[in-house]
Formats: sequence, C-alpha cells, structure tokens
Amino acid sequence: MMSKRHLPSAGPLLVGALSVGLLLGLWELAGLKGGALASVLPPPSQFLRSIIQSNFRIGLGSQAATVTESLMATFLRVFVGMGIAFVAAILTGALLSLSRFATWALSPILQLLAPIAPIAWIPTAIVVFGINDVTAIFIVFMGVYFILTLATLAEIRRIPPEFGTVAGNLGATPAQRWLWVTLPAILPGVFVLLRTNFIAAWMAVLVAEMVGLRDGLGAIIMMGRNLFNNELVMFGMVVIGLTGFIVDRLLQFIGQRILWWRV
Amino acid sequence: MLMKTEPVDAFRVEQLTVDYGGESGPLQDFTLSIRQGEITCLLGRSGCGKTTLLKTLGGFVVGRDTGGVLFEGRYLNGPTPDIVMIFQENNLFPWLTVRGNIEFGLKFKPKDKRRAGVVDEMLQIVGLSEAAHRYPHELSGGMRQRTAIARALVSDPHVLLLDEPFSALDISLRRRMHALMMELWEKTSMTMVMVTHNIEEALQMGHRVVVLGDRPAKVLIDADTRSEAMKDRYSPEFLALQQKIESVIY
Repeated sequence: MMSKRHLPSAGPLLVGALSVGLLLGLWELAGLKGGALASVLPPPSQFLRSIIQSNFRIGLGSQAATVTESLMATFLRVFVGMGIAFVAAILTGALLSLSRFATWALSPILQLLAPIAPIAWIPTAIVVFGINDVTAIFIVFMGVYFILTLATLAEIRRIPPEFGTVAGNLGATPAQRWLWVTLPAILPGVFVLLRTNFIAAWMAVLVAEMVGLRDGLGAIIMMGRNLFNNELVMFGMVVIGLTGFIVDRLLQFIGQRILWWRV
Repeated sequence: MLMKTEPVDAFRVEQLTVDYGGESGPLQDFTLSIRQGEITCLLGRSGCGKTTLLKTLGGFVVGRDTGGVLFEGRYLNGPTPDIVMIFQENNLFPWLTVRGNIEFGLKFKPKDKRRAGVVDEMLQIVGLSEAAHRYPHELSGGMRQRTAIARALVSDPHVLLLDEPFSALDISLRRRMHALMMELWEKTSMTMVMVTHNIEEALQMGHRVVVLGDRPAKVLIDADTRSEAMKDRYSPEFLALQQKIESVIY
C-alpha cells in the first residue's frame, strides 16, 4: 500500500535523475575520445578536477575569488533586486488602484519603459552607478519591476468584490482594508509572477556581470573566455544552471508553503 | 395569550430611487417598511431589484437624495457594523482559518467593545468548534456559510442581511441551515432580511414574505407567514401561497 502511494511522487524524480545522468554520461563519453570536442566541451570529470586543483579559486593572483564568493555576489544582486522590485511593484499597484489620477499619469510611463530589455540599461547604469552592486541590482530591478506592477494591478482587479464589502461592513477603514484584505489577496499571485520572472532577473544579472562587473558567476564565464580556458567556461555554466534550478525550487517552495492560498 | 405590542420598524425605505447613472434604475420611488425582530424574505424575478434593495438596506448603495433608507430612525449613508451582510459566496478570506475569519469580525472594533470568549461561543453555536483550525478550501459549502454567519454575529449586529446565502447548497444542507437560522433567531430575535430565489425557503424561514415585481420594483405580494400552517410545506395554506407567488413571478 505504502510503496504504491509513494510511486507517483518518486516516479518523475527517478526519471528526471536518470535523464540528467544519461546526459552527463554521454558528455563524459564524448570527452573520453579527447581531441577538439573535449577541449571545447570539456567533460565534468575534467573541469571539476581542475577546479578542485585550484582550490575553488578563480582568477589570477590576489584578485582570485572563490566560487562561493562569486555565487554570493550574484545571489545578493538577484535577491536584493527582486526584493526591492517586489515591494515597489506592490506599492505602485496600490497607488494606481487607489488613485485614478496616478493611473493616468503613470501608466503611459510604465508601458513605455516595460518593453525595454533590462540588458539595454547596462551601459547607462554603469555610467550612473559605476561598476558595482548597485548597477547589477538596478538592472535586476528594471527587469522585474514593470511586469510585477502590471501583475499587481491584474491581481487587484481579480479580487472578488465581496472581500472589500465584507471588510468595510465590519468597520475597516480604506487603509485597513488594503492592509488586511487587498495585500494578502494579491501576494500569492504576484509571487507566482516573481518566480516566473526570476529567470529573466537571473539572466540580466549574469549579462551585467559578463560585460561590466568584475565578479559574480557571469564574470567566471567571461574570465574563462579571455583566458581561453573552456574548463572554466563549462564550470561556470554548470554552476549557473544548478543554482538557478535550486533557487527556482526554493521560490516554488515558498509559493506552495507560505503563500499557498488562491483567491 | 400573547401581548399585542405595536411593531417597531427597523428600516423605513422612503421614496428610494437607485439608478446607477442609467435612466430606468431598478428602484424608483420605492417605499417599504421592515419591522424589527422579524425575518423578512424578499422574492422576485432576477433583475427585479431585490438585491439592490438589500444593498441599500446595508448602506452599500446609496440612492438619490430625493428619498432614502431610515435605519433605526436615521438616514443611512454608508455601511455600518450594525448591519452585516452575508453573500452567496466569497464571504471568507482563504488565507485565514475558520477562527481567523470569525476573529476578523472583531478586528476593527474598539477593544473595550469586544466580549471575551465570544469567538469560542460562536464556534459552538454554529457547530464548528472542531473545525476552527481549518482553512476555507478544506470546508464544505455549508461549513463556509456557517463560518460567515458566525463572523457576522461576533460583531453583535442589529440586522443580518442575507443575499441568497444558501443557493449554492444542496437541499438537505439548505434545510439544516434553515433550522440553524431559526435557532439563532429564537436566541437573538434579530432582524433579518433575506433575498432568495427559493419560494419554499422564503415561506419556511420568513415571518413575512415580500414579492417584488419588475423594473421599477414594486411590491406585488406582502404576506404574513408566521402561522403554524406556513411552516408545513404540505399544508393547503402553504401550497396556496406558493402557487400564488409562482403565478406572479413566472
């Protein structure tokens, strides 16, 4: 009985692990033969060995950073940027939903800025903020903020009218109604979009790290390229893929366990 | 022998006009009194204005200032916690448990006006003590409506407005809810106004049944249904009134 019940949940995991294993196996197999393919696409056993040999430090001399430092630099940028964008989007959405004048004034600006790819902000941001974390955070922010603002507005429109009536009926002021009803009603839906847009933010920060900033996961790949070190490039790509996957799962967990309700 | 006392009006709807900006609104120059301590049921075809009337009684809709709604002798110009409305659905906040939803009824009340233990008391009255920790999506339709009723009652309202509260429930559940509402009324003698599509429900629950005609709304039938015979859905009186209402509505 028990094993039967567990099968459906273990099934996809098993198949997924097998297919990833198969991919790694084929990669290794292709690398075994050596030659051109192995130098462009060095297999995991090869690039992992050389990373371990260099003590997980990447770079030259005193400027070398550990993998953990690069990872943390990228994480900081993505999470701070997404966090600020999340809060700002909800506040903007609230303002727009409460004031018709604000909607008239701000929505054309939002709609003009939304289609600009976050990457396009990189040159300007570097000039304005310099080569530092603020630039990266700004780019993540620009990549997520507009979508989340539009999502907030859509979620506010989706709230059943009864909710507001119930709260008003029980004596809530408009501000209390917003805090205790509108906010909890929209949080899960906006968070789902935050998760969907995490990939966009992740890519934006990696590109920023590649073209301008000197550290972070994106910089690992750029350094590999400049040093003709394909092992470093591969390693960087694997770390990016793996951490992106883990963060996505983390966001999914928050969405299902903390912001689980549906309105 | 019953003492005959002069009934007091909870609501006096006087020459009320609601037109939502359009030309012919659902209510024009409408007048009706609703007595205190009675269960009044409003029947009528869809779109006849009965829900609009209910909303004006709650202060959720305010008509043109040529008339208005007097509640306990004062003109009503907005919602008040003294008059609580219960809807057909979406009464409960999905992120709060049964207890959390009921406590929401006290959230905006001054602390000194809250009665200690009232939430537990209400949970017991509506039979949800065991389910207090559950979330709305884990409840049946009947349990959700009972939670909504409990939340309405913790704030000690004078009037309960019910907008087709049991329409989504199956017939056996609906009858159980009728029994619960009658029990609550026995305890509190609260004024209740209920909009329904269900003639049987109106006759069984109501002390008075008001049938409204189409735009603009007018009273077609105003019947006293508190007699013993009206509570028996096979009695000739019940069937006769049911037939009369059906012939007027359909």
